[in-house]
Amino acid sequence: MEGHQRNLYLYERFNARVLGVSVDDAATLKYWAKSLDLTFPLLSNLTGFLGASFGVEPSLEIRGYPVFSRKTVIIDKKGTIRYVRDGTPQYKDILLFLKKLNQEGR
Amino acid sequence: MRPDHGRKTMKRKKILMLWPLFIALFSLSGCAGLGMSAAPKPYEVTPKGTVIYKEEFEFRVPPLGWNLFWPEGDDEGEFAFGFMKRDPGPFPSQSVFAYDEEPFGFSKKFEEREKEFFKRFLWNAILDFQILERRKVQVLGGEGWEVTAEGKDPVKKEKAKSKIIFGKRGERVVAFYITQWRPMDGDYDPSAFDTFDKFITSFKYVKKSFYETL
Repeated sequence: MEGHQRNLYLYERFNARVLGVSVDDAATLKYWAKSLDLTFPLLSNLTGFLGASFGVEPSLEIRGYPVFSRKTVIIDKKGTIRYVRDGTPQYKDILLFLKKLNQEGR
Repeated sequence: MRPDHGRKTMKRKKILMLWPLFIALFSLSGCAGLGMSAAPKPYEVTPKGTVIYKEEFEFRVPPLGWNLFWPEGDDEGEFAFGFMKRDPGPFPSQSVFAYDEEPFGFSKKFEEREKEFFKRFLWNAILDFQILERRKVQVLGGEGWEVTAEGKDPVKKEKAKSKIIFGKRGERVVAFYITQWRPMDGDYDPSAFDTFDKFITSFKYVKKSFYETL
C-alpha cells in the first residue's frame, strides 16, 4: 500500500484514483493508514461482499480466521473492469496499464 | 450547518464517475517480508574496472570480503541490492550496505522522506534510533540528504550505526544506506563507511529508470 502512496502523483497524471478494500475493520484500517501516512481512501468490507464481486475468495484459514488473497482491479471510467491481477501489486505493470488507458481516453 | 455540503458531495461523485477507478483489494495479514537470496546475478566488468549490474547500474565493486546480495523476487516492484561482510568479533558484528530504488516512505522532499523512512527502517530489530547528524550532500549528480543515526537494543545488548543518503533519480527519491552491527561494548569500524562512500561516488546509472521513461 505504501507503493500506491508513492505512485499517487503518477496515478493522478494518468487520471486515475486508487481505493484500498480490506476485510479488516474500520478502526484497524484507520490506525494502519495513519501509521503509513496513507492519504487515499481505504474501505472496510467486513463481510467480504465487495471482494467476492471481483472474485476474491478466502484462500485459507489461520486460527479460524479466513485469509483473503490480494487482488488488483482497474475499472475504466465507463465502469468496465479492464485489469485483474492476483497477488502483490505489480506497480510497474499497473502504471503501464493506466498510461495506456489514459492515452485511449478511458 | 454546512450549506455547501451537498454540492461538495455531488462534485465528488462526478469525479469518481469520470475518472478510471483503481481498486486494490488486500488483507493486512497478507503482507510478506523480504527474504534474501545468495545466488548472484550476472554482471559485466568494464575496462575501467567498474561493473555494470543488471545493465542499469555502474559502480566500483567493494574490496574482497564484501558479498553481493539482493532481495528475493521483485516483491511489490521494489528493487534493491547491496553488499555485506562479516566483521571480526562476536555476533552481531557485520556491515551491510545497499542501494534502494524504493526506500520506505513516499515523499519527494528529503526531510519528509527521512521521517517516513525511519518509521520502518530495521523495524524488526526494534532499535531505539537517535539521529546523530543531518546534512545536505551532493550525490548522483545532484543534491542529496545524509542522515547518520545510531540504534541501541539494551535487551539484546546490541547496537547499530547507520548512514542513509537520500538522492534523486529523476523525480523519485532513492537511497543508499549502510548499517554496521556491533555488540553494545564493541567499536565501530570506520573503514566500512569509507567503502560505502567510495561505492556511492563510483555509482552511476547506465540508462533511464522505468519511471523516467513512463
